[in-house]
Parts: sequence; structure tokens; C-alpha cells
Amino acid sequence: MSNVIPLLNTLPTSVAPADVEFFDPPMCCPTGLCGPTLDQTLLDMNEIVLTLQRDHVRVERYQMASNPNAFLSNAEVMKLVREKQMEALPIIVVRGRVIKVGAYPSAEEISAALNGEIK
Amino acid sequence: MTQFIFFSGKGGVGKTSMACAHAVRYADEGQRTLIVTTDPASNLADVFEQEIGHQVTPIAGVPNLSAMEIDPDKATQEYIDRAMAPIRTAFPPQIVQVMEEQMSGPCTAEVAAFDRFTDFLDVPANNGLAFDVVIFDTAPTGHTIRLLELPAEWSQSIDAASAGSGQTCLGPAAAIQDAKHKYERALSAMRQSAQTSFVFVLHPEAISIKETRRAIHELIKLDIETFRLIINGIIPPEGALNPLFAARAKMQAGYLVQIESGFPYSKQCMTLLADEIKGISKLRQVGKIFFDGEPASRLDEGASVQLQSETLSSSLDDVRARIQPNGHRRTVFFAGKGGVGKTVASCITAVWLAREGHKTLLLTTDPAAHLGDVLDTLVGDEVTPVSEQANLWAANIDPKAAAETYKARILDDARQRGRPESAILMMEEELNSPCTEEMAAFDKFIEYASQDEWDSVIFDTAPTGHTLRLLELPVDWSKQIDVKVFASVDATAADDVAKERFGKVIEMMSDPRQSTFAFVMYPESTPILEAWRAAQELGTVGVHPGLVVANMVIPPEHTTTPFVQSRRIMQEKYLKEIAQRFSVPLVQIPLLPIEIKGLKMLTELGEQMYDMEKVTV
Repeated sequence: MSNVIPLLNTLPTSVAPADVEFFDPPMCCPTGLCGPTLDQTLLDMNEIVLTLQRDHVRVERYQMASNPNAFLSNAEVMKLVREKQMEALPIIVVRGRVIKVGAYPSAEEISAALNGEIK
Repeated sequence: MTQFIFFSGKGGVGKTSMACAHAVRYADEGQRTLIVTTDPASNLADVFEQEIGHQVTPIAGVPNLSAMEIDPDKATQEYIDRAMAPIRTAFPPQIVQVMEEQMSGPCTAEVAAFDRFTDFLDVPANNGLAFDVVIFDTAPTGHTIRLLELPAEWSQSIDAASAGSGQTCLGPAAAIQDAKHKYERALSAMRQSAQTSFVFVLHPEAISIKETRRAIHELIKLDIETFRLIINGIIPPEGALNPLFAARAKMQAGYLVQIESGFPYSKQCMTLLADEIKGISKLRQVGKIFFDGEPASRLDEGASVQLQSETLSSSLDDVRARIQPNGHRRTVFFAGKGGVGKTVASCITAVWLAREGHKTLLLTTDPAAHLGDVLDTLVGDEVTPVSEQANLWAANIDPKAAAETYKARILDDARQRGRPESAILMMEEELNSPCTEEMAAFDKFIEYASQDEWDSVIFDTAPTGHTLRLLELPVDWSKQIDVKVFASVDATAADDVAKERFGKVIEMMSDPRQSTFAFVMYPESTPILEAWRAAQELGTVGVHPGLVVANMVIPPEHTTTPFVQSRRIMQEKYLKEIAQRFSVPLVQIPLLPIEIKGLKMLTELGEQMYDMEKVTV
């Protein structure tokens, strides 16, 4: 029997990185619905993601358990993770640039970053 | 083409014995045969009298036969190890620790066990050598159904995930297409009547018949329709020479008529044997009786061992001390393999406590619950008073209904917060995960069990394996909440409340002054071992047995024929083993000429079990 889980080590099929990338802390699912209590912040985040997707912004969310390679292939993300450990997560990357570390951004912060505005 | 045979039926009906007898017979006929158990409380090793474990193991003395026990814990650990391998090498220790904690959650266990299960349906090959027959000695009915329902639910939730957030408990949707095909192939193999058959083992008894009907109905909904019935435990003519067994044989005859007319499937009967089914030669003998119609071997009249007929029950004071409220509320959990009489034991106890004047709540989360049948009254989803019995309330927590309520509550809340319909839709998809049912049912149990108004709460738990996961949940959950806090996801006030609530439940369950775990079993080898394993597993979460209940014990005054004597001798041996193994008070429920049903009978039995002085004086 093969010792490899095909679920892992799977990089996003697209070659170019997404416009907005979320490196999430470990959790059951991105809405937080699987946990014993609801986390409204995660639900808010979900809505922001859905809005972005509706506006044709390419968004990816990564979790360490299912996408370890997404973390590993981003040197800056790994540097933050090694330095700050759990404190670093979530990390939000917009067009290859880290815009937020240790907390989720607001919709405004993301759209500002997408529009190339510098905080 | 490999043939798949699933053995189903409520635990305690002889499912494993029949599955093993078939396996030995096929192997002896020259077919390469594999028997797999997916039962968390597996007992294949006991029946074959050899170590089996978590890998395909050849059975000594049967050349073409192999067996495997899918151990859910081990499957989970393997799954975690495989998933964690890349993380352990690359990430700092703190993160590795958090991830490992998280992987120990209940979802991972479901996923891992199911994954192994489909492995055998999909590619039943052993070193490239395909099996001719794969026999699944499946878990008790409620759990079986959940396992079999999973493929359908999972394909759906994988599809939904592709459309929604792109992630599920199983990982990113794109990455599990491979697994998805595997699950679809598994389900499609189950639906091929030329390849797969479902054998239901049942006793000629009302509850067993109802259970079988329910299970078949569930499978038909999943487009599975090839069934065969084995009616087991038929009292042979030489057994019915005794009035108690004659009455039971008469009762059986009535139910056999019901089975004959109620199930349009092929049926076979199996005789109740005077001794137990264990070991290869016994399995071959069972095969001769079952397949070839040979009579059961005659009992050696001369070998009749002296009955001891000693009272193997414990002092009633000790027993009562474990079930009565003691200055504060007491919760009694009835644990044990499905079908051994947990419902009967909990109903007798609840009625007795209510009659002693304690305000008593009787609860079940067993999907195959039959509280209403035993109480002979309607028991619904909400806590309702039991008519004609003061101080007694009952509720039947249906996991599916609980999940629906739970979903509705969360979605309503989201709507009130003004979340857009697109987000609601996505939440709904996410909530359709198989874990929601389990979580919701437990949530409901905590809600009732933590109400302050009860003097006694009696919990007729689900079958062993299922129960364990359910009861272990609070510990897992509080770990998960720790992880969440630790993981610097905002520690909301809601988390703190939840943590306190679960903390209270854990404390309550592991405190012998507040809780008693009563293990119910037949005085037979396999049920005792299963109960013992279950008790040990609970021990790892700090919960220990407080009482054992032996059910269907033949009263010494009825041992008037060699057949009944032989069965009573077997029982006495095992009653002693129960007392030695568990070293907690033991109480017995007698074997009766009719099924236990209705308040009058429950009251009488309660007095007999907990109050003998009152009756004899």
C-alpha cells in the first residue's frame, strides 16, 4: 500500500500565484463552523473572500495541514513562521507582498493593497 | 470478480459468529477469503482465538483465509503520521504541536477509519493476489449505517466544496478528486447486486425485527437492495423441553411468522447452541449445521457439571450506592455493545429511581434507540413526562434532527447578523459535513444533562464504539479550544463559555460521586471482552466503571434440562469472570419468558434487582 497521501504536497494547479493569498492558522475549515463555537471574525473573512471572488480577484486560502507546500514555497512566509511561530498566523499576501501578519485584514486594507496603495 | 458480503445487524445477535462461519466455509471450499472488521470494538481475534490486529493476517488452520481488524485509533494514527510527515521536517516545534493536537479531533478519526474501509472495497488485493470473497463483519447497525452513508454524503460535500470555499475537513477540494473517485467506486461496488450482498443477522424478537427493517430501509434509500436474512438463536426442540425456554420458543415462533411475511428476501435459520461459538473447529461445526442442515451435536448427558447456583450478585447496598443520587444529582451512563440490553437496563433503573421519588430524566442518543418500545409510551425529541409514571421524563435525541436544529440555529443567527445569502449558502454547505451530526447530538446531551432540576439522569448510550467517540469528545473539544486560543485566533467570549461548559461535563463524568458508568453485557465471552475493552478505553479519559449489569441470566430454578443446564453452566463461568475482571458491584437481569416491555414489568424487575428485600419479605 502506498505511503503517500495524495491530498498533500499538492500545489495550486495555476502557475501564477493568486492575487490574494491567506496563510491561515490551523483550523477545521475556513468558516470556523466545524469548531465547537463560531468565530465571527472567520465568517467576516469568508464574506470578504466571496466578495473578492465575485469581483474576479483570484483568492487562495492555505492551511498547513492540507497545503504545507504553499507555506514552504514562500520564503517570506516561512521566515515569519519560524520567527514568530503561531503568532505570525494568519499571514495575508497580496500580489506576492505580505500585507498583514498575525491578524486578518479588513476589506479596505485588502482593496487598498490590490490598488497598489502603500499604507 | 471479487464478491463482497456485508454482515449487518444489531450487536449481540451473533453477527461475528455467522460472518466467521461463512468465511471459514468459503475458504474451505477453496476460495481465497478475507474477513475484515470495521467494528471499533472488534472481536474477530476472540472468535478465531489468535492475534489479528491492524493488518491482513493469515488464519492458522484455514489455508485460504485471512483476517484484518481495522482499528480506528491505529488508522487515525497512521493517517496523522502520513499527513504530519512533511510538517514535522519543515515547521517549528510549536506549530507541529498545534497541528498534532488538531489532528486528534473527531473528524480525523472518521476520515481515517473510512479511508481504510474503502481501501478494501476498492482494491481487495494482497500482494497482488486478489481475494475471491471479502467479508465485512460490520459495526452495529447505527454505526454501520453512518459508515455506509458517508460515501454519499462525502461525494456531495466534495462537490459542494468545489463550488464553495474550496476547502472541507478533508482538505482542498481540488486535491481530493482522487479520494472522491475512490469513494464513488466504493459506493458503486456496494450497489452491484452481482458483486455485493448484505446479510442481516437478527433474533426472532420485536426489537431485532424493527432494527432490521430500519436498517434495510436506510440502505434502500442509498440504492442498495441485495439482502439476505439469517434468523439466529432459534431454540431447538431439545431446548424447548423446559417451561422457560418453551415459552421463549413460542414467542420466537410468532416472530418467525412476522419475519416470513414481512421481509421479501431469502432467509435462513440458525439454531441456538448449548455452548458458545469459538475456535475453528466450532466454526466448521456451525457451518455444517447452517449450510448442510446437520443437527447440532447431542449433548453429553454424563458431562453435566454440578451447578453452583450461588448468588453471584453483589450486596444491594453497594449496587444502590452506585445509582442513587447522593446529596447531589447522579448521572448513570449505560455502556456496552449494542443489543445487550442497555435500553432495558436504563429503563428499569430510571423507573425504579422515579418510584423512589427522585426526579429522573432518561436520555438516549442512539440512532437505533427504542426507549419508547420498552417504556411502551411515545418518547420524542424533546423532554416529555412519561405518562403514568410520576417523576420520570424521557427524550430521544435523534442525531439527524439535532443536526438540523443546530444548522438552523447557526444559519438564523447568521441571517440576523445580516450576512449575505451567498455566505449563508456556503455556511450551509460547510455544515453538511458528517461531523455536524455527532457534534449536534452531543451538544444536545450536554444541554439536557446540565439542567439543574434533575435528581437523576439516566443515559442509555449508543453502542460502544460510537459511545466512546461521543464521550471522548468533550476532552477533544476542550483540547481544540485550547488550540484555538493558543493559535491566536481570537479567544472570543463564546469560546470561554463553551470551554467552561465542556469542562463541567468532563468533571462530572470522571467524578464517581456524580457519575456511574454501568457496563451492560451478556454473560458470554465476546460481550465481556468488548465491555472490558470499552472500559479500558474510557479509563484513558479518566472514566472508570462503577457497576456491571449481566443481562439474560437464566434463573437457577429453571435449569431443568441438559440444554438449559449447559447454558447456565456457561453463564456461571462468565458471571464469575465479570465479577473478577471488573471488581465493581454486579447486578443481574433475569432471562424472562417474554420480552421486557411496559411500566408494570419494568417496576417489578426494578424491585427484583435493586430491592430484593422488599419482594421477599
